[in-house]
Amino acid sequence: MDTHAALYKQGQERLDYLRQFAQRQPKSLQQKMADIGISRRDFIKWTASVTAMFALPLPFSNLVAEAAELADRVPLIWLHLAECTGCSESLIRTDSPNLDSLIFDHISLEYHETLMAAAGWQAEENLEHALETYKGRYLLAVEGAVPTANNGAYLTVGCKGHTGLHIVKEAAENAAAIISVGTCAAFGGVQAAAPNPTGAKGVHEVVNKTVINLGGCPPSEKNIVGTLMYFIMFGKLPALDMFNRPKWAYGARVHDNCERRGRFDAGEFVEEFGDEGAKEGYCLYKVGCKGPYTYNNCPTERFNHHTSWPVLAGHGCMGCSEPNFWDDMADFEKPLGRQLLHGIDATADTIGAVILGATVVGIGAHAVASVFAKPLEE
Amino acid sequence: MEHIATHNRKLIFTPAIRIFHWLRALAILVLVITGFYISWPFLVAPESSDVLVQGWIRFAHIVFGFLLTSITLVRFYLYFFSRNNIERKSFKDVLSFNSWIVQLKSYIWMGNLHKAGVYGPLQFMTYVAISFVALIVCITGLVLYANVYHLGVGGLLGGVSDWLTALCGGLANLRTFHHYLTWAFIIFVVIHVYMAVWSGIRFKHNSVDSIVSGYDYHKDHK
Repeated sequence: MDTHAALYKQGQERLDYLRQFAQRQPKSLQQKMADIGISRRDFIKWTASVTAMFALPLPFSNLVAEAAELADRVPLIWLHLAECTGCSESLIRTDSPNLDSLIFDHISLEYHETLMAAAGWQAEENLEHALETYKGRYLLAVEGAVPTANNGAYLTVGCKGHTGLHIVKEAAENAAAIISVGTCAAFGGVQAAAPNPTGAKGVHEVVNKTVINLGGCPPSEKNIVGTLMYFIMFGKLPALDMFNRPKWAYGARVHDNCERRGRFDAGEFVEEFGDEGAKEGYCLYKVGCKGPYTYNNCPTERFNHHTSWPVLAGHGCMGCSEPNFWDDMADFEKPLGRQLLHGIDATADTIGAVILGATVVGIGAHAVASVFAKPLEE
Repeated sequence: MEHIATHNRKLIFTPAIRIFHWLRALAILVLVITGFYISWPFLVAPESSDVLVQGWIRFAHIVFGFLLTSITLVRFYLYFFSRNNIERKSFKDVLSFNSWIVQLKSYIWMGNLHKAGVYGPLQFMTYVAISFVALIVCITGLVLYANVYHLGVGGLLGGVSDWLTALCGGLANLRTFHHYLTWAFIIFVVIHVYMAVWSGIRFKHNSVDSIVSGYDYHKDHK
């Protein structure tokens, strides 16, 4: 059996397994689509685009369609740690409901602090109940970094005052899969920037299980929903890259698929924001684009219903989906070669030039001294 | 009338050493210039975007990068396995404390420079250091290459380069290291050229010329 046929069979088995569980939503996905005016045609187009995004052949779109309908059989627990809710916003704040936000609405969301109605003791009970009822079966999504300094005391959530560290460890214990949504959960993000007083870390550093890292500040709704869909369809993790990011989303550099790439190769660069080159759509490398070092699908998938992305809007990529981006990619409006070194406030080239200058002065002094030195005895 | 030779002539640098020396010098020169362009593209935009200014400069950087990588590997091989042992002999001086003192004193105008092989101990260790810097700059360069060109050599290096990229904490850091190492070459070249000229004048032997002709001329000792 070839690999695609095997994968297809695996998907079917997975969906058969999900079908045995009771429907968790009062309305089916079909009804929900009808209510908000998404046609069957839109739905089929969406399944085809998700299939293409995973680089799978078209017949898999049947699986995508089935998986979308069965999304309410998969319990999802979504934790908020040290974060800004921007990742949830990326997903839910769309100007009109589309299929990505609808899937998120349809999936059996057991706990999500921003979206749930419950508060206080009731919320705490919901979480405990969900962790117990869906043991070993629930999908855990985490948004935000985990402060670890002082035993995690920099973040406490809920009426029981548990630390984020405690909550994430407990929830990770019996999760079927763990997804770190956004750079903070994946790599610590801005909270982990030097000097990192709260000891903020990515989720994978505090739990001893494989964690899918969805880098990005925020990751696009496509990457979040795509990862959910992949898990619903196959019940396993997708192929991951060196930083455990799904390869289907983070397999190529931003630079590789950038619409301004031709400008880069030609040597046409924006010198400063607002200049003639900027108006012409020249490459943003010299004003700090970090696309060459950043793995993500922003140029192809874009954000907000495929509307735009930073480079299209005229600002370089900041490398937000890379580990330690806040420190490594600074300054955001200068290329790496013009990066100011911490504590010295000079670029590597300035320091190199100063050392070179000192070398030349030393050589000059040695040369002059040699003129007056006693000649070597024959 | 018959001329009596006043100096002894001795072959110190084999043709391989000389050829690789100059190829390496050329590679370093081209790589430093093109590397600075890649870091900060200082040329003005071309008349037409059909002219790939950055593309060609990057092409030159890659070609000479592979040249430097090959030479670095061959020179490591030659140090150990060359039939000519003039470089290996220098290692004796490195192990001798006295040799270090003799060389350092000779650099501050005290006494002559006596050595077993072709290099003094400080000189030898500097060359070892710059060879390892070259090795690291080539490895980081290859990783950057593999992250951009995914077929052929790039594809072959894919797995290793992913591992090294993760080890450096991302491609940005890796590139930053690659950039820093440039300065080691620039500073090395300036000192190297000065020392070559100076020691020829000070110790009255063939110095800069040796790396072209291969011969050293001594008045007394053979």
